[in-house]
Amino acid sequence: MTDVRVLGEIAVLDDVGPPRRGRAYPAAGATSALLLPAALLLGGLLVWPVLRTLHASLTTPTEGFVGLTHFRTALGAPDAPAVVGRTLIWALLVPTLVTALGYLLAAASRRSTEGGLVRLILVVPIALPLVVTGVTFRLMYDPDPARGVATLLATRLLGRTADEAPQFLGPGLVTVSLMSAFVWAWVGLAVLVFRSALDALPPSLTDAVRAYGGNRRDVLWDAQWRPLLLRTVAVVFALVALGTARTFDLILIMAPGSVRDEASVLAVHVWQTSAGSTSGPAAALGVVWLAAVAVGMLVAALFVRQAWPPPRGPDPAVAAEQPAAPRWLTRLVAALAAIAWLVPLGVLIATSLHTPEDAAVRGWWAAAARPDAYQKLVRSDELQRALVFTLLLATVVTLAVLIVALLAAYPLAWLTGPTAQVTGVLLMGAAIVPVQVIAGPVNEVLGAVLSAGTARGLALVHIALGVPFAVLVLRNAFADLPAEQVRRARVSGRRWWSMVWWLARHNVRAVVAVAVLEFVQVWNDLVVGLLFSGPDAAPLGLFLYGQTRHFVANSGALAASSVIASLLPLLLVVLARRQLVAGLVSGRTR
Amino acid sequence: MTPHGRATRRTVLRLAATATTAATVAACSHQPLPTQVAVVWSSDELQRFREVLDGYDRQVQVISAGDDIDAFLRARHLAGTSPDVAILPRPGLVTEYAQRGWLTELDDALATRFPVNLGDLLRVQGRLYGVWVKAAHKSLLWHLPSLVPQPLRTWDELVSRTHELAAEANGAERPAPLSIGAADGWVLTDWFENVLAAVTREEDGTYEALARGWADWQSKPVRDALDLLAGLWSIDGAFPGGGRRALLTQHEESVIQVVARRRAAMVFGADFVDAVAERFGRGREQLEWSRFPTVRGGAGPLVVGGDAAVVLGGSARGADLVRWLTGERSFQPWLDAGGYLSPNLTVPPDRYQDTLRGQLAAEIRSAGVLRFDLSDRLPGVFTGSDGMGIWRIMQDFFADVTHGRVPGAVDRATRQLALAARQAAGRP
Repeated sequence: MTDVRVLGEIAVLDDVGPPRRGRAYPAAGATSALLLPAALLLGGLLVWPVLRTLHASLTTPTEGFVGLTHFRTALGAPDAPAVVGRTLIWALLVPTLVTALGYLLAAASRRSTEGGLVRLILVVPIALPLVVTGVTFRLMYDPDPARGVATLLATRLLGRTADEAPQFLGPGLVTVSLMSAFVWAWVGLAVLVFRSALDALPPSLTDAVRAYGGNRRDVLWDAQWRPLLLRTVAVVFALVALGTARTFDLILIMAPGSVRDEASVLAVHVWQTSAGSTSGPAAALGVVWLAAVAVGMLVAALFVRQAWPPPRGPDPAVAAEQPAAPRWLTRLVAALAAIAWLVPLGVLIATSLHTPEDAAVRGWWAAAARPDAYQKLVRSDELQRALVFTLLLATVVTLAVLIVALLAAYPLAWLTGPTAQVTGVLLMGAAIVPVQVIAGPVNEVLGAVLSAGTARGLALVHIALGVPFAVLVLRNAFADLPAEQVRRARVSGRRWWSMVWWLARHNVRAVVAVAVLEFVQVWNDLVVGLLFSGPDAAPLGLFLYGQTRHFVANSGALAASSVIASLLPLLLVVLARRQLVAGLVSGRTR
Repeated sequence: MTPHGRATRRTVLRLAATATTAATVAACSHQPLPTQVAVVWSSDELQRFREVLDGYDRQVQVISAGDDIDAFLRARHLAGTSPDVAILPRPGLVTEYAQRGWLTELDDALATRFPVNLGDLLRVQGRLYGVWVKAAHKSLLWHLPSLVPQPLRTWDELVSRTHELAAEANGAERPAPLSIGAADGWVLTDWFENVLAAVTREEDGTYEALARGWADWQSKPVRDALDLLAGLWSIDGAFPGGGRRALLTQHEESVIQVVARRRAAMVFGADFVDAVAERFGRGREQLEWSRFPTVRGGAGPLVVGGDAAVVLGGSARGADLVRWLTGERSFQPWLDAGGYLSPNLTVPPDRYQDTLRGQLAAEIRSAGVLRFDLSDRLPGVFTGSDGMGIWRIMQDFFADVTHGRVPGAVDRATRQLALAARQAAGRP
């Protein structure tokens, strides 16, 4: 900054400028040490395991370097091509469906009186643990028409006998059934993002297109797609494509043992072949998977490199002159979608309201509702232990992630230019490493710090997996604060810790978003618990998964515990849904 | 700061230090560390085992490691915090751990308390590394007496009764002959093991050789067993809803189909079928049981499964507990509660409150040939889990024969079995 005299007045010339404010506040010395906790966690539990996996994919313990042998073994296995193909279909087809449905429903539920309710209903499934989604859909798709409502309807519609009923969980349809469950769970997220994007579009643009004689299609193209929707679509598509790695939970819950192969994707296959240790062919498959994820992420990053969403101008005062509500047909579609989205929830709750004996023998519509399953669960030590443990685990992990991420985001927020972009891509990459790939080396590291198979080890892994995304969101939010505000705070002579605290207070939305997301993620987890928990750790996801071993015999109790397990994440996400979207998009993707 | 103040601070510090040391010493001297036992059991079984341990004179901490006790023990071993004792669901794990040097050798005299060939499964190079603590009788055929009035003694009787019931059920709303939980691979391997045990004589040693990885999976006894199974499973209308439906049925559901829904007349299973039948069949017709039928005049097969206790890391406390677990009276609380079958020959059958288990215990004592669950003894992934190993191969075979692809099904299955056996043994 330079002081110059302009027309006799002292003027402050900001020759650094907001885009280069990093130069003005170098993150040198002591502040860099703030990166240490995050660096240790990520280095030990992500970077080293990834390198170790790479190493294991190219070597054997006895012969040393073996070149591409493991890759040939892994990809030459008879079922490998099918698994890889299925994983690709998941990563392309499902995001397409979710994006299209998300846009349509976001547009259809805009500006109508019932739109808010429709969106609320669509958001509910996002909050549920994927394990619960799996339980719900397995109940609906039960192959016995006397229990599975979807099978019953299909049998009636097709006019078949009970023995010829279509088998949604059979080898032919299992992937379609899994996809339907996944779409049900994820559309709400797409709707939320599209809604905030649509709201950010200036209505004047539409008016301008119309004024020049544009029709509906021109409005869609020139006033919506080109300015913003293209990038939103890219973001949603990438998000969902990366999210399809989570099908792991669904497959474990929904696919009966005999069709697990027909449903298997890389996540399941790598887990099955490596069995939690580090072996050559499994590592090779893991490396292929990591490479695919990395390429997908880079492509997505190219698409969304521009500011997203665009910097908002002052809120347009358009309430009075908003375009008319959508036509009745559109509104009807939105309402029907909401009703369809409620059906699985209804099935879950109805099943939970029966005695376990009734639930196993006949459908929920054929027996009187009784709260027996809940009464039994209230007395069950196991569920209580799981709930208390998961609550503690999620709270501790969330606090730890927040602290580590706040410390790390502070120095990182002042980086600019290519360094900032590279950091962003690296953090994003770290956030999406599939944990199944690195399970073996992570267990070795945990063994070295004496916490393999303990609650402490489980918490460490959760923290390491949660930190990259938290740092990314907070860094973007910090970097977005108006430069003058930051300057004023800096020159007031604060120490770094009060500066971090000040930044956190001025980014409450981002902090809330990170906290809620992390808490819900740990609460809803299955895979980390499955791979790393020990006897003193009894996470909820694992408790539910354990009960699915005898799915039909346990269905009543399972439905009731699923309802109980969903309450807290549901409450958090519904209450914080505004902060979630606002917090996540507050930073510009750089 | 005044001298007075300084003295006070020093006093406080010294007091604090003394208190900490005292607490540590107290913790060490007055509370001996409890013996840790890792088990696969959960819920009811875990509760019963805790009741058993109440009779032991030292404190024991029971850890329920869940299904994947193998992964749990490997992680604990890496961390250097192995429990004193582990109760393992498969003898294959006992030999594997013993070869890695994780286990402590036990007093050989303990082996005399179990049937000889069961005890031998827990030996490596002649040394004993484990003791049996719980057994399962896996050669029972359960049936509804109104539909199967006479117990079916021979395989031919089973096949002809299956034909009759299937013909009666055809088209009408009548129960199918057999219910089968083919979604659980172990149900199919148990079928296979019983038929294999029935067609092989002990002198041939085929069953034993297959378990040890010496015999050829494409040999005649294996083919014979699969042929017999194909003959039964391919009967049109043998299973309620057909073969595709059976592949989506888990074991407990298959019992429910018989006792609560009356959709089938018979279900094959282990002794623990009775618990499911009691829970879901209340007020309905009771199941009766008979031994798995004989084949071609041979003896009826008797296949058992079981859980074995081992001592990890040279723990003396663990060795003491394991010795106690083999005692004649140790498991009495569980015998009284029912649902427990003892592998221990020193426990007389009249000690059982549960008449079914008493009879089964007598059978195990008097059995000419006792076979241990074959798939539980196979190495590596060949042992089977959802979508893998012998479970997967048997499910493919089941799908083949129930979907009308009987010719060639046995060839395909034996080829896959032989390949899986070679891979498990590390041969190309």
